[in-house]
Amino acid sequence: MEWIILGVLGALILWLVLSYNRLVSLRQVTNQAWSDVDVQLKQRHDLVPNLVEVVKGYASHERTTLEAVVAARNAAVRADGPAAAGVAEGALNASLRQVFALAENYPDLKANANFLSLQNELSDLENKIAAARRFFNNAVSEYNAMRESIPAVFFAGSMGFKERGFFELPEAEKAAVQVVPSVKF
Amino acid sequence: MGAYGLRTHIWNNFWKSGLLLAGFPLLLALMAYGLALIFNDDPRGLEYAMRSSAARWPFFFAIACIGAAIWFAIAWVANQKIIDGITGARPVTRTEEPRLWNTLEALCISRGITMPRLAVIETPQRNAFASGLSRDKGAVTVTRGLLDALDEAELRAVLAHELTHIRNGDARLLVIAAVFSGVISLVAEMMFRGVRFRGGDRRGNGAAVIVGFLVVALAWGLTFLLRMALSRRREFLADAGAVELTQDADAMIAALRRIEGQSAMPAIPGQVRAMFLDDPPREGWFSSLTATHPSIPTRVAALVQHAGGRDVVVAAPIGMAAAAPPWSGAAKPATAGNPWWRGKA
Repeated sequence: MEWIILGVLGALILWLVLSYNRLVSLRQVTNQAWSDVDVQLKQRHDLVPNLVEVVKGYASHERTTLEAVVAARNAAVRADGPAAAGVAEGALNASLRQVFALAENYPDLKANANFLSLQNELSDLENKIAAARRFFNNAVSEYNAMRESIPAVFFAGSMGFKERGFFELPEAEKAAVQVVPSVKF
Repeated sequence: MGAYGLRTHIWNNFWKSGLLLAGFPLLLALMAYGLALIFNDDPRGLEYAMRSSAARWPFFFAIACIGAAIWFAIAWVANQKIIDGITGARPVTRTEEPRLWNTLEALCISRGITMPRLAVIETPQRNAFASGLSRDKGAVTVTRGLLDALDEAELRAVLAHELTHIRNGDARLLVIAAVFSGVISLVAEMMFRGVRFRGGDRRGNGAAVIVGFLVVALAWGLTFLLRMALSRRREFLADAGAVELTQDADAMIAALRRIEGQSAMPAIPGQVRAMFLDDPPREGWFSSLTATHPSIPTRVAALVQHAGGRDVVVAAPIGMAAAAPPWSGAAKPATAGNPWWRGKA
């Protein structure tokens, strides 16, 4: 009889340890995924001042647009954590889109080699950020689901496994992303 | 436990393939019991024969284990040479294939993996495989057709898939599975051939011999199914591992869709084909049990469900691949929704 009780107790402890370790490892995946997103975001922040410089050379009187971009960029650099970054990056996206819309009015700017290469780099980065963002959100939802399932739900809160927030773009930004881009010739 | 996402999906598959692997020694023991029955000369009837066989099977089991060990030692030494010889793969250097080399090297550096040997098979078919029995002596081989058809992100996904095979030790696992099933099918074939020669003049217990043959046949069939099921689990694992490495489920899906229907390598024997990126199954309802790889729609569905990927339709008719590189097409998935994409359609 004692052996049965001991066996059940042992299995229970093993189960708890396994669940704890899995939770730790899932949290680590979200941390790593976020730092990978962060690296890409930093690269984009570094490109924005160059873009502003190039545009200034051709369209210096579009000051308000350019200042808005710089402000949005600085806010995005300061943003800490997925939730804040989501809002700031959404604002940066919106203001960058204005710059590229504005460039339609300046044929010389559109033909500038630097401008084109920056545009391509930003486009490339945007794809990478989108992929890294989805990987991060996937990892977060997995971590949160594990955190709320038995047996983790009994100890996760008290042992410091906090719920993670998603890296989400604002609603307006999402709507823009849903639209299939039209290709002009 | 259910799968909530990529990591839990990987854990589940590790767990399941561990269970499958544990099945091989059990089947070897089952076969040993069948042998004990066949060689039983207890004249008193089936029940007594089954009892005395239950006491004697460890003898046959020990012999089978020794056979498997010797076989494994030979396979360990000769594995890579046999594979290179069969597939006609040619080792390449950095200067010959800079794009391939650099992509793989970047992946290896980012996760601290020893760079495997790289080789290319000159064929228009699209496929790839990983080999090597230890982690430090891995090799990744891709076909020319694959190199020409995939863009940067997709090539990275395929190489990450093969790297995951190496990290998970799948080539070794397949050799273990092949040795077990080799021993069992060798014994089964010897037994069934032996029937023809010695059919009439047996002194043994007729009923026990028949049951023994049934048991051996059962072990034979189950080993085959088990090996295939194990191979399919490892493919799911490698797909998920590739997404973990590249963080890009879409690229893995796009790569799978690009090789779909163009991955057949009929000149290569089935045992080696099991190691490839894809091995299209034969037709028929039974094929889902006997295939070495899950079908590509199944693999894509797993990536969509667990890795948050998005399926794409790759419009690349067979034979058109060389004329129009796919990355120039409008089907490029990741660019949809990119505010700065000015696609050259």
